[in-house]
Amino acid sequence: MSVSVIVPTLLRPLTNGEKEVYAQGNSVAEAIDHLETQFPGIKARLVNGDQVHRFVNIYVNEDDIRFADGLRTLVKAGDSLTVLPAVAGG
Amino acid sequence: MLLKAWGTHNALPAGFDMPPLLNQFSLLHAQTTPFPAWGAMHASFAEQAHLLGIQQPGHSLPVGMDSAAFALAHPALSPIQGHYVSPASWIPLADFSEPLLQAASGIMSVHGRASGRAQPLGVGYLATLTGAMALQATLAAAIGQLRGGTFQQVGVSPLGCGLLGIGQYLAGATAREEREHFLPGRANACLRPPFRSADGAVFELETLDSGPWRCFWESVGIKPDVAGTAWRAFLLRYARAMSPLPAECIEALAHLPYERIQVLAEQAGVAVVPVRTVAQRRQDVDYQRGQGQPWAFSEPAFAPGRPWTASAPTHLPLQGLRVIESCRRIQGPLAGHLLALLGAEVIRLEPPGGDPLRAMPPCADGCSVRFDALNHLKRIQEVDIKSPEGRQLIHELVRESDVFLHNWAPGKAQALMLDAEHLHAVRPQLVYAYAGGWGSAPVTAPGTDFTVQAWSGVADAIATASGTSGGSLFTVLDVLGGVLATLGVTAALLRRSLTGTGVHVESSLLGAADLLIRGNAPPPAGTLSGVYSTRSGLIAIDCQRPEQSRSLATLLEQLAGAACPASLPEQFHALAAAEWEVLLSARGIGACVVTEDLRDLAADPRIAECLGHRAYSFVKSPWSFS
Repeated sequence: MSVSVIVPTLLRPLTNGEKEVYAQGNSVAEAIDHLETQFPGIKARLVNGDQVHRFVNIYVNEDDIRFADGLRTLVKAGDSLTVLPAVAGG
Repeated sequence: MLLKAWGTHNALPAGFDMPPLLNQFSLLHAQTTPFPAWGAMHASFAEQAHLLGIQQPGHSLPVGMDSAAFALAHPALSPIQGHYVSPASWIPLADFSEPLLQAASGIMSVHGRASGRAQPLGVGYLATLTGAMALQATLAAAIGQLRGGTFQQVGVSPLGCGLLGIGQYLAGATAREEREHFLPGRANACLRPPFRSADGAVFELETLDSGPWRCFWESVGIKPDVAGTAWRAFLLRYARAMSPLPAECIEALAHLPYERIQVLAEQAGVAVVPVRTVAQRRQDVDYQRGQGQPWAFSEPAFAPGRPWTASAPTHLPLQGLRVIESCRRIQGPLAGHLLALLGAEVIRLEPPGGDPLRAMPPCADGCSVRFDALNHLKRIQEVDIKSPEGRQLIHELVRESDVFLHNWAPGKAQALMLDAEHLHAVRPQLVYAYAGGWGSAPVTAPGTDFTVQAWSGVADAIATASGTSGGSLFTVLDVLGGVLATLGVTAALLRRSLTGTGVHVESSLLGAADLLIRGNAPPPAGTLSGVYSTRSGLIAIDCQRPEQSRSLATLLEQLAGAACPASLPEQFHALAAAEWEVLLSARGIGACVVTEDLRDLAADPRIAECLGHRAYSFVKSPWSFS
């Protein structure tokens, strides 16, 4: 399955400046593993062990994976993964 | 360790015998106010000076200071004269009023993102904010003089103060990439926090993690994907001043009694805070005990010493002083930013890898512009404050610093052994500052802008004025709390400069809210004040005197000519807002175009001196010193 990944500005140095890249996989975890093979270092910026970093939000299309199956959330061809760093509270 | 205290904000030992903090200073006011239409501004300025112990004798400014608005005097100082300033080609000072400045500075716009339309907050926000910022610049000038500098004149731009309040939103709206384009009135003002229960209770929810949020909404029958959509909006409300929630969420809670919601929220780990009235707040024991003090000051029992060794400041009054800041989000970082604008060297402590807020879009040049707006003047030191090595590093920094400022959760400073007692042992002349949430109020919910707005009565006051069910999603209290924290630090530094002893100062969002509400006077009788649609744009009008209202009526009659009389709102459709501003101002009627798109601020040549531009537009210092 090929999915597009919208890369936030601060991770673009890892994707050679690309805002949108592509990854293969049947789940978010697999897609991130595939991203890591293309762009070494990116995985550590997104996940810590089997959890998404606290201040990173990942959406499959419009859906936050924390409200689905987390990194095990399934993806299908044509889906879009968006990474949004955000901190709650003010 | 703390022997002498003033203020009753926190749980300090009994036997307060510390004299009012700055009772050796006196403040003289000009006989004629520069703001005939903005009495609340002078009142708040004078009240805050009074709360710091500054004497205000009845007589006015001596000969030779005729042009000043006020002057601060002390036996060891040359009098410091304060002046209010406004961009030369902009609205004259004499026309300034709360609604006009809220209109011009973009506050109405940001408040309008979630309240249905661009409109005033309905509280004397800029009066309180500007009063605090005028006072802190003046006290900073006194510190500068006592350190050998010559700071006898202070200029304060009320417009600049207002712009600083929305600086983060301006950064987001003017970013070179991923620019935010949120206009007032576009979001449904009903589909946003706070929430209403079946039995009519209005309340805020708060959690800083998605897990409890998901758990709570599942318990009230909301599907996870809908809860996820709601979380995204909820998460970003601090940054965007809007929070468009799915209707299912609002409706689900509207079918449950408040008591049941409280139980479910507690089980999930989500805080519930009722939206209370000001009258309810005034019944609180901590409110009555606080006696109106937004600060609690105390002095450690160490022998006085020479607080500083740096050379005399030349350009800015706090030049040569060092501040260590360990703060997250808005209130604390803004306080550090203001101290940097006053000339202090600010070293910001961030966790290893940097503050996660650095990554929040929109970003430019490797950093969130919103974050950069509050932190670009600071030096960054990454440190793990929980490790022994980190604590050692902080001690080393503190040993050569003047201020330590943090906004950690209650109890964390003690747990880390980085509380005032420990750091005063390292550096007895330190000003130790805590910018917290709840002060001494017995509330366990996260002390964030919106929970404190709800608890304090600020949300209810704004809602009543705005026709909404809750307060503003503009971070009203984070900004005011940051300004008051800075004023507390500045007052403490001034005290230290006279006594040679360190000071412990605490401030809070709730203290800021209480101050804001206390100074909130209803508009004078006969006031005609409002925001009106025109042929192009919105115009804010503020007629406080009968002759202004009469002049407006005459003008409208002339313009209508023989046409059928139209209602007041309809009559404003005859011209564009910018034309109305010129026409009305020329007749002495308070009027100002309402800034709706924050990008317009960056493009307005009349206020160009207030802003600078890099990968986003930022607000320059509202102060000048000479």
